Amino acid sequence: MMTEVAIEAIGLHKSFRDVHAVRGLDLAVARGEVFGLLGPNGAGKTTSLEMLEGLVSPDAGQIRILGLDWRHQSAEIRTRIGVQFQSTELDDNVKVREALEMFGSFYPKSRTAAELLRLLHLEDKAEAYQRRLSGGQRQRLALGLALVNDPELVFLDEPTTGLDPQARQGLWDLVRQLKSEGRSVLLTTHYMEEAEALCDRVGIMDRGQILQLGTPRELIAGLNQPSVAEIEFPGAAPEAGPFALRLGMTVEVKENSWAVPLSDAKQDLQAVLHCIEALNLPMQQLHVRRASLEDVFLHRTGRSLRD
Amino acid sequence: MSQRTLYLRIFFKQVKMGLVLYGREPSAVFWITAFPIVMLLALGTVFGGSTDAGVKLVWEQAAPQTRLDALLAAALTEQGAQIELASPAAAEARWKGGKLPAMLMGVDGHYTLRINSYLAGQAMQIEALVQEEFLVTQARANGAAEPARIPAVTQSPGGHQGGPYAAYLLPGLLGLNLVMIGVFFTGIVDVTLRAKGGYKRLATTPLPRGIYLGAQLCVRVIVVLIAGALLVIVGAAAFGIRNEGSYFQLALVQLLGAACFISLGFVLASFAKTSESYSGIANLVFLPLMLLSGVYFSLDGAPSWLQRLADGLPLTPLLQVLRAIFNDGASLTSQGASIAIVAGWTLVLFALATRRFKWV
Repeated sequence: MMTEVAIEAIGLHKSFRDVHAVRGLDLAVARGEVFGLLGPNGAGKTTSLEMLEGLVSPDAGQIRILGLDWRHQSAEIRTRIGVQFQSTELDDNVKVREALEMFGSFYPKSRTAAELLRLLHLEDKAEAYQRRLSGGQRQRLALGLALVNDPELVFLDEPTTGLDPQARQGLWDLVRQLKSEGRSVLLTTHYMEEAEALCDRVGIMDRGQILQLGTPRELIAGLNQPSVAEIEFPGAAPEAGPFALRLGMTVEVKENSWAVPLSDAKQDLQAVLHCIEALNLPMQQLHVRRASLEDVFLHRTGRSLRD
Repeated sequence: MSQRTLYLRIFFKQVKMGLVLYGREPSAVFWITAFPIVMLLALGTVFGGSTDAGVKLVWEQAAPQTRLDALLAAALTEQGAQIELASPAAAEARWKGGKLPAMLMGVDGHYTLRINSYLAGQAMQIEALVQEEFLVTQARANGAAEPARIPAVTQSPGGHQGGPYAAYLLPGLLGLNLVMIGVFFTGIVDVTLRAKGGYKRLATTPLPRGIYLGAQLCVRVIVVLIAGALLVIVGAAAFGIRNEGSYFQLALVQLLGAACFISLGFVLASFAKTSESYSGIANLVFLPLMLLSGVYFSLDGAPSWLQRLADGLPLTPLLQVLRAIFNDGASLTSQGASIAIVAGWTLVLFALATRRFKWV
């Protein structure tokens, strides 16, 4: 029964009327791995997740979850996975403890409400109505409901969207704990720093496909441009054509700044500064930062993640 | 734990949770439990819950009463009318107040009956009585033979419940409650839960849909039976009306009605994406059902095409059966035709509901 692969998906396709949401998704998530599916809204992350969760059946392709097949072993898969959605999903009048107990009753074996409340730091909210919880508390409750059956594999759909930094940090700690307990996690996010902080491996998704797959470090290293120079201007950023041509570098023009990927920070930076001086550009500030997954995405798709 | 024990445990837990959640929703408790009781007490009282509600008549008299006036007053009082004599100024003030359906004016045979055009329907009864008693008065004044009256016998159509309007209303409210629990307390919940992704979340758990839906049905049946029982108790306490038939059969008919209208709620909900659009659809169906099916009054005066239409709706035959049992002590077997119509609707709506129901 035990298999080393938590999720295996081959050639998944899904269309809704005229939208081809997922176009040939291949994915393998190992046991104990935290895998992040990254991409902007509309990239096909949620549809991919829903196919893997057994909510939507793919038009083509194969899925095995914990070595099992949705078509024949759906009941068993459901008892062994946990799912968290991004939106609130409960009756407003249900209390935190009741929700945990109710979801617990669906499974042959479940963790006690007390244990989960402690894990989620929601002990003092046990008798609170769900509608009275803060955004962070709601997300923690939703995560708690996903963990009620002690699942081997947990799906988290944008677990920290809309949370303040402190609440986000709290959820990150919980996800790290899941990993330390040996659970497999598949999460979607459009926060690159979240993926870098939590995921063993990430898949960058756009237009229904995974464009690139690897550890965050590999992906960034794969750019061959480990640093980025950000050149800020006092007003709107000027036309970058002459600058790029002269240096032979790509320049991303933002509202008030340019981002220039550097292959070799020491050499390229000198060239950049020289060129700025030669063209007499009205530069206000210059930062050099480490390249991020955001830059990987930009490089692969030519688009910014938050567009 | 065996699968069956697990499922039973889930079912009971769901039913319990559903009842608790219902209790925490004050608007649901009001509309399903309190509203029918309020309607019964209010309408039952206004439209003759008690027997002493005779005709009230304001009589404007500008001059002192004559013998003829006294004879008319006596004849009216004999028929249960309560007469209030008023001076022209006081009578005019009452008339301008706008609440009088009709007012008698003048003395000594020179009478005028003033009818409020807005309330002509209510005035009909007063006018008929005054006209009739004026004939009697003239006969008595002339020493002629009094016109004979056709003897009237007041009884319920089934001949059992000799009760007041409240007895007609109560089974109507029992039926209306079934529509409300289906169209509002089922449909709205269904739409909101689907819009919020609540169903989707449940679909990722091993909870079987049949058990979930069965429990939801069970919660609503319990709620509506309790509300019905309370209504019957209030009817007995306030108006002395009681169930002439079998309580078991009454409950069975309510069960059939609940199945019919809860299915209707699910069908309607499947056409709406948000609770806002749902309330439009729901009212479009609810209002005609409420107004055309004879909940509050008989539709006998309506155009016959409207009556034929109403007869085909599920609520009309359901109320027919509820009234036959409750008021006339009829047995279910004597109501085959009406039950067949309700059952037919139930089958169609149930099939549609299961076909259109979606978790995701």
